[in-house]
Amino acid sequence: MMLPVQAPGVFTGGANVIAVLILLAEFGMFRQALLRDQVRLYMAQSALISVLAVIVAAARHIPDLYVLAAVSAALKVVTIPLLLRRLLKETDPAGAPAGGADIAGSGGLGLASTILLAIVVAAFGFFSASRLGIRAVAAPITALSVSVSVVLVAFVLMIHRRDVASQAIGLFSLENGISLAALVVAASLPLILEVALLFDLLLAVVVFGLLIRQHHGRARSMSTADLTRLRG
Amino acid sequence: MSAALPIPVIQLFQVLTIALAAPGISGVIAKVEARLQGRRGPRVLQPYYDLAKLFRKEALAPEGASWVFLAAPLAAFTCYLTVPLLIPVLTTYGLPLGYMGDILGGGFILSLASFLVAVAALETSSPYAQLGASRAKTFAAITEPVVLFVVFTVGLITGTDLPYALAATVRSSAGQIIRPAHVLAAAALFMVILYETGRIPVETHTGTNEFGMIEEARPFEHSGPYFALLRWGSAAKQLILYTILINVFVAPWGLAASAQAGAVLLAIVALLAKACVLGVVVATIDNSFAKLRLFKITEFASAAFLLAVLGVFTLYLGGG
Repeated sequence: MMLPVQAPGVFTGGANVIAVLILLAEFGMFRQALLRDQVRLYMAQSALISVLAVIVAAARHIPDLYVLAAVSAALKVVTIPLLLRRLLKETDPAGAPAGGADIAGSGGLGLASTILLAIVVAAFGFFSASRLGIRAVAAPITALSVSVSVVLVAFVLMIHRRDVASQAIGLFSLENGISLAALVVAASLPLILEVALLFDLLLAVVVFGLLIRQHHGRARSMSTADLTRLRG
Repeated sequence: MSAALPIPVIQLFQVLTIALAAPGISGVIAKVEARLQGRRGPRVLQPYYDLAKLFRKEALAPEGASWVFLAAPLAAFTCYLTVPLLIPVLTTYGLPLGYMGDILGGGFILSLASFLVAVAALETSSPYAQLGASRAKTFAAITEPVVLFVVFTVGLITGTDLPYALAATVRSSAGQIIRPAHVLAAAALFMVILYETGRIPVETHTGTNEFGMIEEARPFEHSGPYFALLRWGSAAKQLILYTILINVFVAPWGLAASAQAGAVLLAIVALLAKACVLGVVVATIDNSFAKLRLFKITEFASAAFLLAVLGVFTLYLGGG
């Protein structure tokens, strides 16, 4: 007879559920057809990171994490989406509400095939991370495996989508995966370092926003297909 | 203290509860859906009146259809009434016939019923019935892996594949409810149920648009009592699937722990109340989303597959 897998307990289970939801948000980005929805999903994913930070802070008594959760929420849930929308106002089609730029159908593969591919990549991330034997400090170790999957799936998103907006947001959500990993292995990292990293992200957002605007201004589309013509 | 019921009677009650309440649950969903759309909607008891009317009508079979066409609705209905013997409908403890089959066994019986209806649809040589049957089988092949992964999750969590064991595990502690594998498997199963019961985003349940039909198109050529049996059968299948989701995965509370008549009666009321709540959720989804295009249904299935696979992954990592 097979032995049942023991339940991990309420804190670990809850933290893992949130980690898995972060991964599912990453998968959800494959489906979004509008820039606005993509940004919203990124907001939701970032909000989940903050929620997880608060849970870990409360359960493990690490007060620094409350501050980190607040700063991260202020930056990733409020500032970055606002900034992106402001920067990408020019890409809105005439008459459509803000963020209505169509980024659908930019994938190289069908959606169902991409999801299957991403599942394989995520499985690789899951199991390779669990082989590393890293000891978790604060959050459950499964969350580390999930974070590696988030990073890898974000890579798939960036490779798969042929529009600049998804590629940029794929990169930002990749940073979310790294934040998740940081929560697991280095929850007690000095706060100043974490905040510095977050402001690095802000810089990346501004640079990417300007690049997208530039690209859209020249090519009149979000697609990177036109860039191939630049080759020698 | 109320009198204890004999075990075979409880077993009979499981079947009767499903068979008699199923059209009512469909009626509740139709009513709620209509109210959400600002219509008055049909009476809750309307499905019963429909069945009674159909049972009084004469039955016709298309020319050239063999006995399979007429036998299939009866056989399918029998299958649907067999499954409630295997799953925890009213009791927390396994009834004697409950160990005839595990989760896979119940799944096989449900697929057998769906296969028989598809064969009957092929007998008719009517294009729409065949279209519906062929689509139903195609998409069933895609949702099948999801069901398998849900069963794997149950197997890994409990060490068995008996639905009673999972229900008992879920009741045992809060840690069991919040573990990611359980949440993901329940969500995946819910998506499969939306597909199997022909709800939005897969299919419009009440529409008359033949091209979008899957499940609903199959009994096009049946009439009279045979059509009534098919309608009743699909309502029973819906309640069976709801019961599996509710009493095995999401909320296995309110089941009778003894054979007392009062406890069993309470369990019937609790099951129907929980099924109505689930029905309201389904009706809300019906009203909040658009139907997917036929070729987008694979995307819906791949999302359910993703949930189920992640559930098994987290279990293997030891954190599920």
